[in-house]
Amino acid sequence: MTPAISLSGIGHAFDGAVALAAVDLTVMRGECMALLGPSGAGKSTLLALMDGRLRGWSGAAEVLNAALSAHQPPRRQMRADTGFIFQDFALVERQSVYQNVMNGRLGRTSHWGSLWGRFNDRDHAVVGAVLRDTGLADLAERRADQLSGGQRQRVAIARCLAQEPKLILADEPVSNLDPAHAEKVLELITGAARKRGIGVVFTSHQPELSQRFADRVVGLRDGRILFDHPAGLVSESDIAGLYHGAIPDPQLRVVS
Amino acid sequence: MSRSVVWLLLVGAVVWALLTADVEMAKLGKAGPRLWDFLTRMVPPDLTIWREMLRGLAETLRIAILGTLFAVILSAGFGILASETLMRPAVWRPVRALLAMVRAIPLILVAMLMVGAVGLGPLPGILAITFHATGMLAKFYAEAIDNVATGPVAALESAGASKLQQLRYGIWPQMAPVILRDTVFRFELNLRESLVLGIVGAGGIGLYIQTYVRSFQYEKAASVTLAIVALVLLSELVNTLLKKRFS
Ligand SMILES: Nc1ncnc2c1ncn2[C@@H]1O[C@H](COP(=O)(O)OP(=O)(O)OP(=O)(O)O)[C@@H](O)[C@H]1O
Ligand SMILES: [Mg+2]
Repeated sequence: MTPAISLSGIGHAFDGAVALAAVDLTVMRGECMALLGPSGAGKSTLLALMDGRLRGWSGAAEVLNAALSAHQPPRRQMRADTGFIFQDFALVERQSVYQNVMNGRLGRTSHWGSLWGRFNDRDHAVVGAVLRDTGLADLAERRADQLSGGQRQRVAIARCLAQEPKLILADEPVSNLDPAHAEKVLELITGAARKRGIGVVFTSHQPELSQRFADRVVGLRDGRILFDHPAGLVSESDIAGLYHGAIPDPQLRVVS
Repeated sequence: MSRSVVWLLLVGAVVWALLTADVEMAKLGKAGPRLWDFLTRMVPPDLTIWREMLRGLAETLRIAILGTLFAVILSAGFGILASETLMRPAVWRPVRALLAMVRAIPLILVAMLMVGAVGLGPLPGILAITFHATGMLAKFYAEAIDNVATGPVAALESAGASKLQQLRYGIWPQMAPVILRDTVFRFELNLRESLVLGIVGAGGIGLYIQTYVRSFQYEKAASVTLAIVALVLLSELVNTLLKKRFS
């Protein structure tokens, strides 16, 4: 297996505040990795970096065999190869479900044709198939701002799949869902990835659920990797340490 | 300020206005019969002047259409300059201040100045509407730009969309309905406001009101008034129908 992502010595700071420090991480193609960690640990920052949206970081990063630049966005082809599911869905509210999903084709289809509103047969075929897979076929004509939270979530996933990505990155894809829906959505994402043989990295605040769907669980805290285990070998103390361990920030330490 | 102070100021203002207008109040008693005379001479309206009415309405409509068109073009430029997301504060702050000043000048005043500058006729009317409407429309356009959610646009970029594709599929769909609604709203205002431009010689149907009232042809003035009311009602109807499409 070749790596889908390989990071070495990654560091990043927002206005002097360290968000990532010395992160080394390799994700194989076809592997499903969960990224756990308390709020502010740097999960979203790390995911944005993998998606090529973070600027000004240090270290070396390779995604799908191409080096990422800390100074400019990746090329169109590469952005299309990496699918991202945003925590807040990031849908175009006034557009139909169909067009929102079709937006996932923008990096694949003919550029000038799309500016005239034209998409080719293959684009329509892919969108149709993805809508069926995500159970959205009946909602295709509905406007995005007239959907429930769970339906919007599925549109965000469908748009990502319409990209025909070679890697899926998902930032807290199930944070707003009830337990039954959360399971269904994770099943949808990991199932689609398995079918395509591509890698997945998702962040979550639910250790138990993450272990059930991921092959591997990585704990991130204060921008550093605390543990990196195969799913099922993550111990209670790993989790407890991740969320409740000794707090290095002196301001937050409880005086006893 | 406490409530009682506010009330005191309000009552004071009304008393002051009544006291200093005592001469006018005396006139009001005598004005009753004259007002009645004036109104009775307006009926029946003289509809034989329908040619002039149509010509006046057509010119007013032309002034409103062209004034709106030029205001839209100017507002696209000034709207971008006044946008907080696209420009630095050193740019958008002075531009917004300028637009506020433009808005503060009443249209009729602008029209009088334009008549002085370019002479009588519809041209000063068009220029006045353009100037006046840009003050409002450019501000609306800037707000439409600033209200575009960046999340969906970033999502399209992440999916491989080019800058142009982001504009076409991420930014424009968010802005277009707002801009269209604002423009139609401004056109309706332009139409209403341009009805009186003729009074200062800046073209349109207002000229006929001026002429007929000055020459005591009240039946004709009444017809023109009816025509204006019809036009305003019509534009309101059209606007109501359009509004349903702009949500
Ligand atoms: N755009 C930004 N500007 C400044 N600081 C930021 C920015 N984005 C994130 N940070 C900071 O970087 C750190 C890591 O944030 P990040 O969003 O990656 O955390 P997270 O692990 O995703 O948290 P959560 O679980 O709450 O989503 C935090 O301290 C956060 O305040
Ligand atoms: Mg986050």
